Amino acid sequence: MELEEMKSLWGEISAEVEKQKKLTDQLILKMIRLNFRNKINKILIPELSGSVVALAAVVFIMLRFQKLNTWYLQAAGVVAAFILIILPVLSILSIHGLLSVNISAKNYKDTLFAWNKGRKRWVLAQKLGFYLGAILMAVILPVMVRLMDGKDVFLEPRIWLCYALSLPFFLFFTRWVFRKYLKMTADAENTLNELEA
Amino acid sequence: MPDKKEFIEIIKANEGLIYKVTKVYAQSREDGQDLYQEIVYQLWRSFPFFRNESKISTWMYRIALNTSITYFQKEKRKSNQVPLDVLIDRMDTKDELSNQRIETLYASIRMLNTVEKGIIFLYLEGKSYEEIAAITGFTVTNIGTRLGRIKQKLKANIKNE
Repeated sequence: MELEEMKSLWGEISAEVEKQKKLTDQLILKMIRLNFRNKINKILIPELSGSVVALAAVVFIMLRFQKLNTWYLQAAGVVAAFILIILPVLSILSIHGLLSVNISAKNYKDTLFAWNKGRKRWVLAQKLGFYLGAILMAVILPVMVRLMDGKDVFLEPRIWLCYALSLPFFLFFTRWVFRKYLKMTADAENTLNELEA
Repeated sequence: MPDKKEFIEIIKANEGLIYKVTKVYAQSREDGQDLYQEIVYQLWRSFPFFRNESKISTWMYRIALNTSITYFQKEKRKSNQVPLDVLIDRMDTKDELSNQRIETLYASIRMLNTVEKGIIFLYLEGKSYEEIAAITGFTVTNIGTRLGRIKQKLKANIKNE
């Protein structure tokens, strides 16, 4: 469809749409109220719940830290606690970066610029979060088993088998996730380039 | 607290504008319903900061377009939205040939990239280069250049079809 034809058809659509007044006061008020509640539910609740769980796990590890009686269990405990603190912070900061794009103060170009910069940072945070999550899974298992069951799983050969078996799955999953992120980064990069063109 | 009555009047007077933006940016009916509601919500949030320095429609175009480009990636599909079928399906009553032409038109626009989509939308809305520049933040000359490129792209797409 050529531009001139598009413009004439667009005029027809506009005329037709203008004739049809369908919004009511009630519908508008409902949209405003429901959307506000949805936003709080969707963004805040999962983030806060995740952070609370992570914080509870940190407190649990810290309170029973003396039970980790070997250097490697203590190291695993410190690493696990560190990641449990870093992960929610990283997640909240990257989401906040995207949500804080001020769409009412910026024009289309600046919004696109800020949004795509934010997206690139978000992808970076997600990648980092993915690696940290994998390390967390590896270190938290022996720590929790020791704290809750009193066993040192590093002394059992099965743990090494578990790690060895999970490695191929992790590598496969990494490739799948990163391919998805690669596309998102490429999209953001293309838009940023397009803005400069 | 913004004046609800005034806001409702403005939205009702410009409901067609919101509808057309959703048709250009949303990929499905469900997306369209979500986006429609999000635009109204964002307009409500921005309403206290509107200072009559620009036309109300210019302000609405800016918020609606900015909402559309930042919305789909940050929101995952969800529930609890107001059912808006009656708003989204408003053109479906026309004859089949018209519907087909309209769908081809939307499909042609959706094929463009995000930057071009915003510019072509405002152009089709009958905005002057100056108005498009004011809403988008590009220079008037740049708008001319980009529209030229869009024209070429649309022609190339017709050839490929």
